[in-house]
Amino acid sequence: MMKRRVFLRNTLATGAAVVAANAGLLTPTTVLANWNKDAFSAKSTDNALSSLYGSASTAESGDIQLKAPAIAENGAVTPVTVDASGMSGVESIAILASKNPIPLVCTYAFSGAAIGYASTRIKMGETMNVIAVVKAGGKLYKAQQEVKVTIGGCGG
Amino acid sequence: MSIKIRMRGKAVNGVAEVKALIKHPMESGVRMNKKTGKPFPALFINNVEVTVNGAKAVDSQWSGAVSANPYMAIQVKAKAGDEIALNLTDNTGESGSETITLK
Repeated sequence: MMKRRVFLRNTLATGAAVVAANAGLLTPTTVLANWNKDAFSAKSTDNALSSLYGSASTAESGDIQLKAPAIAENGAVTPVTVDASGMSGVESIAILASKNPIPLVCTYAFSGAAIGYASTRIKMGETMNVIAVVKAGGKLYKAQQEVKVTIGGCGG
Repeated sequence: MSIKIRMRGKAVNGVAEVKALIKHPMESGVRMNKKTGKPFPALFINNVEVTVNGAKAVDSQWSGAVSANPYMAIQVKAKAGDEIALNLTDNTGESGSETITLK
């Protein structure tokens, strides 16, 4: 009798694993363990920051140089540069777009020879704030800038 | 087929700016396919790592909101002759790597 129960339990467990694997196939996301899935599926900037750093409280800092265009004609390629090389002990930089479905765009963790500087191009669906969050010396600092996205190519 | 990367870097006064252009569709998984009414499946680079002479310098994580054919620039403390390597992986496990020697 016991053997039969064990057999049943095992089959059930395997079944559940197969279902999980199928769900995973539909949305292929997790390949690398160190990719922060929680932060990259958070629907608000605060939630994303909490998942990333364990806190969403940031202080505005003038030492962060955030370069983004005031008006982006094509929201799909918005150049963004974050320069925090003037700050000491920069550990990481995160770039967020406040109104995107998933606000967190990218994170950079620095070690060794790296300097607190990152430049990239991001997608933005509408006019919104670009937020740069810099972790330096264990504290979170922020700089933000509004980018107007002109949709439809008429220039507004 | 591995992901194609073009990388340049030049050291000036002990600081090198390394720029990379990557060929990748960066499909976020949110954009709708109007013909089928379902979103295009997500396909984007999520991990990028840069090393200087084999030592890890930048560990970057991306979402699908980084533009298609991504451009990335970072700065590291390095001198001419140092070796910069870039390794990346997308969410399907496809990977790419490129190594340059700084000028």
